[in-house]
Amino acid sequence: MFTTGSKMFLGATTLSVVAAVVFAASQGGAVGLMSTVGLVTAVIIFAFLAGINFFTRDGNTPSMQQGVEQTSSAAQAPVGRSMWPLGAAVGIGGLIVGAVSKPVVFKVSVVVLLAAIVEWMVQGWSERASADHRYNANVRSRMLNALEFPILATIGAGAVVYAFSRVLLTANPDAGRWIFVVIGALVVTGGFLLAGGRTTPKGTVAAICTISAVALMGVGVASAISGQRTIHPHPVIDDPSQKALCLEGGEGEVDEHASQDVSLKSSVVANIYLQEDGDLVALINGYSGIEYHELTVPRSARLGVIFHNDSGEAQRLTGRFGTFPDQPEAVSCTTAVHPGKSAYLGFEIPKTNAASSTPLEFIVPGVDGATIQIVVP
Amino acid sequence: MAVAAFAAAVLFAGCAQDAPQDTFQPKGPNARTIDDVQRPLFYVAGIVGLIVFAVIGYSIIRFKDRGQDMPEQTHGKTWLEVTLTVIPAVILAGVAIPTVAAVFDLDDKSNECVINVTGQQWWWEYDYSGTCGGVEITQPIVTSGELVIPADTPVLLRITSRDVIHSYWIPALNGKRDAVPGRLQTLRMEADEPGIYTGQCTEFCGLSHARMRQAAVALSTADFQTWVTNQLAAYVAPEAGTLAATGEGTFVNQCSRCHQVNGLVAADGTPVLAEPDLYVVAGAAPNLTNLMTRTAIAGWTFDLLTDACREQLWNASPEEFGSLYLQGVWMNSGPDATKPVCFAEATLRDWLRDPAAMKPNYASPDQVASTGGLTRGMPNLNLTEDQIDQLIAFLLERK
Ligand code: HEC
Ligand SMILES: [Cu+2]
Repeated sequence: MFTTGSKMFLGATTLSVVAAVVFAASQGGAVGLMSTVGLVTAVIIFAFLAGINFFTRDGNTPSMQQGVEQTSSAAQAPVGRSMWPLGAAVGIGGLIVGAVSKPVVFKVSVVVLLAAIVEWMVQGWSERASADHRYNANVRSRMLNALEFPILATIGAGAVVYAFSRVLLTANPDAGRWIFVVIGALVVTGGFLLAGGRTTPKGTVAAICTISAVALMGVGVASAISGQRTIHPHPVIDDPSQKALCLEGGEGEVDEHASQDVSLKSSVVANIYLQEDGDLVALINGYSGIEYHELTVPRSARLGVIFHNDSGEAQRLTGRFGTFPDQPEAVSCTTAVHPGKSAYLGFEIPKTNAASSTPLEFIVPGVDGATIQIVVP
Repeated sequence: MAVAAFAAAVLFAGCAQDAPQDTFQPKGPNARTIDDVQRPLFYVAGIVGLIVFAVIGYSIIRFKDRGQDMPEQTHGKTWLEVTLTVIPAVILAGVAIPTVAAVFDLDDKSNECVINVTGQQWWWEYDYSGTCGGVEITQPIVTSGELVIPADTPVLLRITSRDVIHSYWIPALNGKRDAVPGRLQTLRMEADEPGIYTGQCTEFCGLSHARMRQAAVALSTADFQTWVTNQLAAYVAPEAGTLAATGEGTFVNQCSRCHQVNGLVAADGTPVLAEPDLYVVAGAAPNLTNLMTRTAIAGWTFDLLTDACREQLWNASPEEFGSLYLQGVWMNSGPDATKPVCFAEATLRDWLRDPAAMKPNYASPDQVASTGGLTRGMPNLNLTEDQIDQLIAFLLERK
């Protein structure tokens, strides 16, 4: 009855109608109006194209010929049912909705549409490749599996990874570490056992994998719904003089998102420790045991230090990197760092000390005598 | 016959006699630690290689298709497979033990000198501070190309880069270490005896990578003390009215925006401070305070010493080396000489006339459009021959 092509356009028409209604109902204002106008236009165009296609039997036969709606090849029942016209319709509808709503909808629709077209084309071709249905199905798989498997695998793996990441974001950091270790260990051992037991039926393996994946995704969804754990809030140092150097107006923190667990352990100019007694010392890699109160750093090189707060209260390291002609003093600070935590402070000093009208130094504001001189030759 | 002779010629050409960058000739404890691992491994691997080639050769000849029957085809031979897995595993484990031990050995923390080493296109800068081999360094010393260190003293290099990745390598003294922008990595070094140990940048870093060379110069502690004292000596302005005095003015006008000469003051008495950050991509140009104490310039590629003097210095015994090195271009000149005998003046002249002609760079106006006018390398300043005369006279006193 309905030809393949007209099915697609009918689908697109229906989707456009739905989208137009949804938009008209939900979006107010100029945007809503314009979108609705656009969608209604699309409805009209698709309906028109569907009509033409239906009338011409997809352009496969002279439309005036008698009885053609029964005899043309397009009118013959397809070998199997094809869902690709529907897919393409969803893609086209999505394109239109995406064009007036969110770009991401548009992009996804492009992918859907392309995939549907490729699948549809290859299927159409393969169904007429020979008179042997089995052979035809076979050539279809041979062409398309090369495309389908990697893409589906990527989507599957992506879903698993995404679900797992939700779990880790919800669990507290210490538990997260163990969850990671345990699941990793389970996967490895499981894989090892399955690979070792040569007789394990294929079905069992597939079932185990599917159940695990579904379980993981279930927990992932549950985690996503229950929301991320609250990331440890930063301490606030109330003394305004402490903030004066880095924070205009003394509000907020330098970096609200600093994790205070520095993973970069090496390759810094120095590890700077605020010790319990209030002394600020620098240790350099490869020369442990010597506590420096003066650091020589090359000019014009992007480098950094790690600040470790070993004192009893939250503190921040402040770097005064010089006041050079026609410029304000270059200062930067770590965020307030909890006792026992650390933070990275990067810097680049373009000129020598001699060119600066203020001292170059690391200080901890509010802690007397906590100073390390910076020498830039 | 001819082929064999040719092969032998090629083979022996590989065994250069005078090869200062031969990794198989360690001249210090760190390099020796590495050599102690690599040499036995090389021999063993060589023998294994020969055996493999011999067996392959034998099989090729012995089992050549001469129309004989197809040999019996079998599948799997557990004892052979196990053996062929176990033997390499044992060999690798055997290799791992000395290798890991060497890695820990190289991490010996008894340094007596810390030097910052900073790479940029296409030369190395060194800065010294603190004490080095017991010698007090009261003010930072900044040099380029030639790393001067006390012999028989463990030195810790702190290596980084101002632009792209470079790699610092003095084969006779240790392995190589990448200089990565944003990171500062360490490398330990120690030379047994006074002498000159050459190397080069070993990470492709752009146009003149091949002309980014370096050397480590080891001096006895006494000589190192002399070197440090000289580097820290106060600036002596050229005598008024001399060519060098005119040269000082030319230098301040033409060169000081990039090159620092410590102690140089402007006419109004304020210190002249270089601002290479405003002119060069890397934000640095060599410090020329003691230019004449180096034996080569511009990525340690062009000799400031004449060929004969260079030979003399490089072939000097460890005992003589220090005093010759400290004389530098003034070697063989006698106490009253006005012009140094060993000075390869043409090198420096050519450099000032047109640096890019000697060492390709990106410094001409049309090449620096994309970097906002910042150069990579030294631009051609279109100096007149008179200006070059003045500058040479001025630079000769930077010793
Ligand atoms: C725009 C900045 C700039 C100016 C101006 C400049 N130079 Fe340079 N110069 C450099 C850079 C960069 C190098 C390093 C080039 C290299 O090794 O590739 C260099 C290298 C040198 C060297 C070799 C030093 C060494 O230790 O390797 C000498 C000597 C030198 N310049 C002299 C001068 C003199 C004299 C003037 C003034 C007439 C001058 N330069 C002007 C940027 C500059
Ligand atoms: Cu390089």
